[in-house]
Amino acid sequence: MDTRHFVIIGNGPAGNEAAATLREHAPYVRITVIGQEHVIYYRPNLLPDFIAGKLSEDDLYVKPLEFYKEKDIKLRLGQKVVDVNIADREIVLEHKEVIRFDGLILATGGKPRIPEHLQVFEHLMLPLKTLPDAKAWIQKLRQIDSVLIVGGDLTSLCFTKALLTMGKKVFFMIQGGAFWPVRFDADIHDSVSRTLTEKGVEVIDSENIKGITKISENEIVVNTETRKLNVGAFGAFFGLMPDVKFLARSGLTIERGIIVDERLRTRFEGVYAAGDCAQVYHPGIRDYWVSIGYRNARNLGKAAALNLLGEQVTADVAAPGIFQFDEITVNTSWWTEF
Amino acid sequence: MPKVDITVEVCGMAGDGTIAAGGLINEAMSLGGFSVLGFDSYPAEIRGFGRCVTRSRIGTNSIVALTDKTHVLISLDDKQSISRVPFLAEESVVLFDNQPPSYVSEKESLAAEIEPGTALYGLPMADLATSAAGTSRGRNLTALGAFAAIFGVRPDWFREVITGKFRSKGERILDANLKSFDAGYVYAQKTFGDRLRTVFSIVDAAATDKNKVMLSGNQAIGTAALDAGLRFYFGYPITPATPIMEFLAKHLPEHGGRVVQMEDEIASIGAVLGAFYSGARAMTATSGPGFALMTELTTHGIMAEIPAVILDAQRGGPSTGLPTKTEQSDLHAAVFGGPGDSPRIVIAPTNVAECYHLTVKSFQLAEKYQTPVIVLTDFYLDNRVENLVMPVATELEKADGSVYPELSAQNGYARYLDTESGISPRSLPGMEGFEYVATGLEHTERGQPDYSPEIHMKMTEKRFRKIYSALADLPVPEELSLDGELDVGVIGWGSTFGSIEEAVYTAQEKGLRVGGLKIISLYPFHEREIRAFMSKCRHVLIPELNFAGQLANLIGKLHKGDVVRLNLVTGTPMSPAFILARIEALLQAGVA
Amino acid sequence: MDTNIHQTEMLYSNSPADFDYVRVNVPCQSACPAYTNIPAYIRSLYEGKYDNSYELNRIVNLMPGVLGRICSRPCEEKCRHGEPELGKPVNICHIKRAADDHKNAFEPPRGGLFGSLDERICIVGAGPAGLAAAHDLATLGAKVTILEALAEPGGMLMYGIPEFRLPRQVLGEEIGNILKLGVELKTGVRVGKDVAVEDLMSGYDAVLLAAGCYTARMLEIPGENLVGVYPGLDFVMQVADGNPPRVGDSVVVLGAGFTAFDCARIALRLGAKEVSICIRGTEQDLRVTHEEIFETKREGISIQGLLLSQRLVGSDKVEGVEFVRTQPGELLPNGRRRIEPIAGSEFIQAADTVIVAIGQGADPIPSPGEKDKRGVVKGDPETFRTSLPGLYVAGDFMTGPSTVIESIAAGRKAAEKIAESLSGKKFREWTVRIQDARITDRQRSWDMIPRQEMPTIDPSHRLHPFNIEVELGLPKELAHEEAKRCYLCYLHYEIDISRCIYCRLCIDSAPRDCIKLAEDVVLSESGAISKIVETGSWQNVSAIMIDNERCIRCGECVRVCPVDCISVSKVELTERAVGGI
Repeated sequence: MDTRHFVIIGNGPAGNEAAATLREHAPYVRITVIGQEHVIYYRPNLLPDFIAGKLSEDDLYVKPLEFYKEKDIKLRLGQKVVDVNIADREIVLEHKEVIRFDGLILATGGKPRIPEHLQVFEHLMLPLKTLPDAKAWIQKLRQIDSVLIVGGDLTSLCFTKALLTMGKKVFFMIQGGAFWPVRFDADIHDSVSRTLTEKGVEVIDSENIKGITKISENEIVVNTETRKLNVGAFGAFFGLMPDVKFLARSGLTIERGIIVDERLRTRFEGVYAAGDCAQVYHPGIRDYWVSIGYRNARNLGKAAALNLLGEQVTADVAAPGIFQFDEITVNTSWWTEF
Repeated sequence: MPKVDITVEVCGMAGDGTIAAGGLINEAMSLGGFSVLGFDSYPAEIRGFGRCVTRSRIGTNSIVALTDKTHVLISLDDKQSISRVPFLAEESVVLFDNQPPSYVSEKESLAAEIEPGTALYGLPMADLATSAAGTSRGRNLTALGAFAAIFGVRPDWFREVITGKFRSKGERILDANLKSFDAGYVYAQKTFGDRLRTVFSIVDAAATDKNKVMLSGNQAIGTAALDAGLRFYFGYPITPATPIMEFLAKHLPEHGGRVVQMEDEIASIGAVLGAFYSGARAMTATSGPGFALMTELTTHGIMAEIPAVILDAQRGGPSTGLPTKTEQSDLHAAVFGGPGDSPRIVIAPTNVAECYHLTVKSFQLAEKYQTPVIVLTDFYLDNRVENLVMPVATELEKADGSVYPELSAQNGYARYLDTESGISPRSLPGMEGFEYVATGLEHTERGQPDYSPEIHMKMTEKRFRKIYSALADLPVPEELSLDGELDVGVIGWGSTFGSIEEAVYTAQEKGLRVGGLKIISLYPFHEREIRAFMSKCRHVLIPELNFAGQLANLIGKLHKGDVVRLNLVTGTPMSPAFILARIEALLQAGVA
Repeated sequence: MDTNIHQTEMLYSNSPADFDYVRVNVPCQSACPAYTNIPAYIRSLYEGKYDNSYELNRIVNLMPGVLGRICSRPCEEKCRHGEPELGKPVNICHIKRAADDHKNAFEPPRGGLFGSLDERICIVGAGPAGLAAAHDLATLGAKVTILEALAEPGGMLMYGIPEFRLPRQVLGEEIGNILKLGVELKTGVRVGKDVAVEDLMSGYDAVLLAAGCYTARMLEIPGENLVGVYPGLDFVMQVADGNPPRVGDSVVVLGAGFTAFDCARIALRLGAKEVSICIRGTEQDLRVTHEEIFETKREGISIQGLLLSQRLVGSDKVEGVEFVRTQPGELLPNGRRRIEPIAGSEFIQAADTVIVAIGQGADPIPSPGEKDKRGVVKGDPETFRTSLPGLYVAGDFMTGPSTVIESIAAGRKAAEKIAESLSGKKFREWTVRIQDARITDRQRSWDMIPRQEMPTIDPSHRLHPFNIEVELGLPKELAHEEAKRCYLCYLHYEIDISRCIYCRLCIDSAPRDCIKLAEDVVLSESGAISKIVETGSWQNVSAIMIDNERCIRCGECVRVCPVDCISVSKVELTERAVGGI
């Protein structure tokens, strides 16, 4: 009887794919998926369409609770991991519970990255990462006509598209560093700027924000070196940061993500990372890479699960992202759908 | 208007303030105009490692019973609460302390046990209380604050009942409790922003009666005794009857009466008989073990025809048994217990309001029929709280029930005169010319000891006749019936009847031909009415909290066929769902 | 007997068990190389006694104003308040600065009270170690002369740390306070060049070499001699000297320590447009404080991880750095991480200025005696002696680069050893002082106060003037609030089991699992309690015990105890004079 306990931290695409894969190949092991959010697995990439009203909340959900019951996967929602003790094979939850594991897949995804210089304004921003965030935007957008977007990651572009279909005025302040994992350069800047302008977005070239003042609940004044913008709401979109603060004492090496090899192994036996929180050295681009997006995350989740079970799968970590990236630089963008 | 019917449970360890928290929920929701029925269970040990659970069913419609399923579990001690997880309804809510003092393993963790469909709300209860009030003792109040915020309960209701509860303990303690409550409320509003529910805020509670008070069965009994002009309470503490003594110890002296703690239950019943003998209303309350000790002197009351009011608050038995668990297993002891042919009056209320009215009535009955009256309650009824408009006894209900002799009978006074009803006019000490000997020996109409066959035959028959004649004054069984024939008739008594009522009405709503019959007077019982009800039922079901079916034994012979017994001795109340399931099973069996 | 009279008992212990106790239970004081009595000075500050708080620092670490700004804060890493479930460590360092900021003018003690050590001692180097040694030797009565090669005293404090982190006036004042003890300072004297060590040895009873580390280490890779490449130390020293070097628009700093961060921030202030700090490992391995990393990034400087420089490219002026990406490995015994280059990942990052700030080493001073392979005189880490009688070494000069607080501690220890070997007697010792105490007015709610962070000036105002101090200091109210957070771990709570009635009210009121039903205790070798064996079964309970490692000194147990059986004592490491001076 296989009594191993495999724990997956993260209830997103990578975590769920990993859990399903584990169950498929290991019918008897204990599987626990721990998700920090209180809602069941949904597709975060569809949130802009949800905001625009094109999709209902139910359209976002991927698997019903019965799936977990049927597959005997313990799903723990709304529970947060605060520490991983690899030597003792234990993880610690925020409510002071200690869980033993035999295998661990870290699939925590990312959280919005707010650059240090904007952190003082964080309380004035609305993030867009989770379903509750999207619901907050829906509430807000009922009351306002214009939005300022600072940054320029994939989410911001999809969101801009949603805002335009809702008839909102969009100001867009493109700032470098927003395009992680893609390195920002003049070509990308021009291409993004051009596309956005064509769509009717008012692009404001990279400027330093001098101050942001909240005039009222639905009115924010943003001062840059040369302009003063009055907008209804403001959001910073600088991509995601791996949500790995809880690993600080784990001994795992973390840069922009948890550093793993091409088989998604961390430095520790039986501990893997997959999805947006995994940073893999990619020989193709001769650089580290964090695969973003729903499809990549699922692929990585699957690969991590197979390797945890003893396979030797090399994760197809970067190809889709990079090719898209190449398309962007050549043609329009990796938001070609935009 | 949307309907609400949810069950909230607070679970903790002795010392966590579980019972207090449950009480405040009941009070606050009652203040808000909701119907509330609450019930606590706590450990048998006075101070130990035991689990405390309070359950409150809160609704917009009237509530007569607790259900099995819990919609909201407020955990003040996760290790204790784990055992409550199986009772959680689907899509329930669990509030728990996410910063307990120590780390726990997966096995001991509440969060590990719950299904993903249950929404977890964690808050650092002790830390919040400490930050707000400087002490962690108000952690239960922070949980209530969070409960109020999450479910859209007006915080003012809680603040008012907290103030009511703690005002007498001084400004500092009141302030600490209010601050702890507010800390939980504010924390939940801030932290659970997008997960707040509007359960209570969208209900117009003004539509329901706000003049209701929360009253437990024991409080109702105590209040009734005061209203009935009780002069003496004699007793010896025992769970679950002690709260009656505590209540009276506090209030009876204010009304000119006295509470005396006796050396044991034998002394207690003796004193009650003595007081009544001299014309003063007196009572004692006990539970099974103490009730057994009273047996001999109870029959002395029967023999000497001295009134007495004895309350037996049943608990799990035999012997010391399950002191803090509920059971209806003293019925046989109450009806039949004791030496000889000793008919007595045994009545059992089924809800808090009846606890009040039947207690008042018991004094009159005792006086009129000059016999001990045994009121049977149980842990679930004594400790249950219901909100109701404060019952008030009428002058008629409170009036002296005694039949005194005509002046003409002076000097030739026969204390035990054999009348048509069997009731002999009663004299009190000091009534000149009406002196008599009260004896436990068999005696003549004049009270002289006499063991002749004729006298014993005659007087025994007289005492039975007297008790049967009481049927005229005893509540007639009440039907919850549809007209016409019934597929299932459910008969019940005592604390279980609320669940029967809910099960029957639910069955009727489902279109089933099911009726119910409530029996308050257990001895003597209304044979004709019971038989009439049974005769229109295809099946007679008798649910009760004892092993063999003591009511079924008592009245089962009145049915043409066999009655169906539904028994439970888990120490916990029987739920409506449990009864409904049996009804449905009977119907299916009937179909097949 | 009137038992209401509270008799204070005080005793000093040299028992290893008590030292062991302090090591585990007062983690901040034990972590400080100088054993600063942190709970005591924080408590003093809380009580509004700023002078006292400053003095409690100064008696052991000599420069509270300096350390309150730039200390590496080993104490905060160990602070009990920073344990996972308890929040963030107390801002110990900045409370120290607050004591300095808000104290009255400080006057150091003058001679006359000092000891009887009459020897003439020469100290080479006026850095933290040299100054500390000079201070202690002067208070013991020695006639101390410091020879400093540079124009100003202070060593790395003066030349290695930029003014925007450490204003010169603060530094000058605290150096002045040391010199006021009668220490003679001669600057601009380079020993080994202007005067020989041998001459000093014949002119003085003892010579202490504490010349620090002034040779910038280089990467030893091609291109380091290109124009536009600066050794980090030289770069900061030139700035400190008032001759800042020119920097280009894009600056790459190679290095991961405080100097690298200082170089990057200075470069920004000198007009660089883009500054990045390139490190071999990742941010999590950096040894600078989180505040430093945050403020640096907030100024717009980027930190790029997993890069190993291969060579500097350019024809005569530097044009870029060729990096190879790295693969981080396990932590090595020295606390650093193993870093492996990834073959084939080379790339060139453009830069017109490159600052190599990877550390420094000691500059050999010509002298007799046994030397290491680079020619620096070798010393014994315990006695500070060299192979030659009368010649001592201390500080970074002996150990290689360390922190300011370590250097001060080392300087003081060297002074003690020198005094001992010159006089043949012991002047002072560290001991554990134990005295009766009571619970304080600390409230449990204070444990929930968030850490009061250091206010800083807005990044847009940091560049002009160039040397404006970035950190503003905690105003009295914030410092007071922060001081409230300290658990005061020097308090020790103990249940008198002979009076305990096992009611467990203390356990019910405990904030965490700090009070235990004990079956047995395990003692460490020293005799201190190392583990409490708990039991869940009443039959096996032999005592109810406070686990002082878990205890956060909230006092709740004392408040609720119905039989008053929990005693409080204060346990501190203190330095005391022995045998008279």
